[in-house]
Amino acid sequence: MKVAVIGCGGMGRTHASDYAKMPGAELAAVVDFMEEAAKSAAEAYGTQAYTDFDQMLDEVDPDVVDICLPTYLHKEYVIRAANRGKHVICEKPIAPTKEDAQEMIDVCRKQGVRLFVAHVVRFFPNYLDISRKVESGAIGKVGVVNAKRRGGHPGRTRPWYNDRAKTGSVIMDLMIHDIDFLRGMLGEVSSVYAMSRLTEHMEYTLVTLRFEQGAIANIEGFWGYPGSFTTAIEVAGSEGIIRFDSETTSTVKIRKIAETEGAAPVVVSADRSPTLHDPYYYELEHFLSCIRTGEEARVTAEDGLKAIEICLAAVESAETGQPVTFGSDSKAGRE
Amino acid sequence: MNHVKVGMISFAHGHAFSYLRGLLELPNVTVTGIADEVRDRVAGVVEKHGLAYYEDYRELLKTDIDAVVICSENVHHAQQTIDSANAGKHVLCEKPLGISTEEMQRMIDVCREKGVQLMTAFPCRYITAVLDAKAAIERGEIGEILAIKGTNRGTMPGSWFIEPELSGGGAVLDHTVHVMDLMNWFLDSPVAEVYAEAGTFFHDIKVDDSGMVHVKFENGVIAALDTSWSRPKMFPTWGDVTMEIVGTKGVVSIDSFNQKNEVFSNLAAKPTYSGWGDSMDGRLVEGFVNAIANGTPVPITGEDGLKSAQVALAAYESIAQKKAIKL
Repeated sequence: MKVAVIGCGGMGRTHASDYAKMPGAELAAVVDFMEEAAKSAAEAYGTQAYTDFDQMLDEVDPDVVDICLPTYLHKEYVIRAANRGKHVICEKPIAPTKEDAQEMIDVCRKQGVRLFVAHVVRFFPNYLDISRKVESGAIGKVGVVNAKRRGGHPGRTRPWYNDRAKTGSVIMDLMIHDIDFLRGMLGEVSSVYAMSRLTEHMEYTLVTLRFEQGAIANIEGFWGYPGSFTTAIEVAGSEGIIRFDSETTSTVKIRKIAETEGAAPVVVSADRSPTLHDPYYYELEHFLSCIRTGEEARVTAEDGLKAIEICLAAVESAETGQPVTFGSDSKAGRE
Repeated sequence: MNHVKVGMISFAHGHAFSYLRGLLELPNVTVTGIADEVRDRVAGVVEKHGLAYYEDYRELLKTDIDAVVICSENVHHAQQTIDSANAGKHVLCEKPLGISTEEMQRMIDVCREKGVQLMTAFPCRYITAVLDAKAAIERGEIGEILAIKGTNRGTMPGSWFIEPELSGGGAVLDHTVHVMDLMNWFLDSPVAEVYAEAGTFFHDIKVDDSGMVHVKFENGVIAALDTSWSRPKMFPTWGDVTMEIVGTKGVVSIDSFNQKNEVFSNLAAKPTYSGWGDSMDGRLVEGFVNAIANGTPVPITGEDGLKSAQVALAAYESIAQKKAIKL
């Protein structure tokens, strides 16, 4: 199966590197409007570089187009690929608005191509283990969830993240991971409440979801965290607790004495949790397998739409200071 | 330093045992007696320490004690505090101070009128990690505080805690106040708004066993606090007190009881944590009796107790109205 990756930023390179080593997949091309980025990725992962999307489609004729562009460009390129009859994998969030997302879904359906939204947390082995344990009943009925996701501010290296109209904030770009994961595990959300603090260098948001089945989940999203990337989740149920914290699950710790000029040596440290494949590998492998077999994906384009619907409600709640309610009794009032 | 004679009213709340232990270690304190309508609850300590026993706390108040420590069911705090104040006794009252704003205000007013001190038992202010973090924040290590995520998750306490006519509320009332008091103490800014979610998920009981309490302070700080009794029977310890404090220049994380050894014993039903950190209850009672002995203000006031309990009460109002409540 021939795959072309569009966008050679961090995520595009990760996807390209996974396709390059995936049996049954051929990384047929990488595309970036910045020639250097395209060439560097093509060289690293052994494929051809393009700067023109249509030229690539004409010359390479891939089966699948994998869109790793900034969010505000997703709709245009998903639709262009679909109209050329290509299956599409699209990075999360699917789009900045519900209307755009719906249009993308509709066009792909009309063109008879598959559309997948890359909500990768559903493929992280630690999160997958949690959802499987919960589904098996190991902790009974879920009551309260606390989740967090913290990292550096992406706007420091990629300026489009600083434009809130293009990203829709830490909620839309980072917390969407936990929002989608929890919705996958616990079902539909009945209400959303959010609070946010924004400074020049950080964005800190707390979102609380109430699920139709009753459970309460508080999610912390943090851009500008002055530490290494951290995720944690605790799910408390009527029969027990399951939890994960990336700060306590390193399997490799390295401590080095760095080059030193003064008397006191400087120690450089790295804690790692290496795996055979990264979670993106399993995600992309699953999507390609769904194309081959026609089976429903573990996370669908509709899930991608639902995820942004919840994120947008959280953005609204953070602005109004009041919860936003979903569901049949309130829908009429909101839409 | 003057000597202080202390009586204890009710051991309904288990903290009474560690407060007693703390008091007995202090050189300037005599514990004279214990009043508890349930004799069995205190028979052991009464005998062990040679204390007087009173079935009715009003008999204890007739003696020449200087102060009382009240650890009764929440609904009795107000009457017992007011009776103690009228008898001229200083009061250390277990949290939550009361179950309504009106009764807590009355407790504060009567104590002031009678010239006795009222202290709310918030031992978390004496957690060494909390004090260390507070000092770091005051040194400016994380800049200005922007947000706090806290947890005070625990095991379901059972007994009268889950009888609303004795407790006045469930997990939201029981577990909002400790960390709320720490937030008030750290921020020194009034609470402007409260939003809460609650439920009864883990146990078949008449009160809420779960809560997520959200607070906005007048200075702009946002905070969320998990108050749930969500630790299962198999959990290695009773619960936690954590705070992650996000500032403009950094983050401070407090995990109060992480000073622990992990115990895996064939003789126990489950692995357990054996905490080896400093005792907070001993220092709480020491802070109380020293203030009484020296005639200085108590370190944690009745107003402090009122302020954090009011957030729990606003949380219940928010839950009922399904919206954020302005204070």
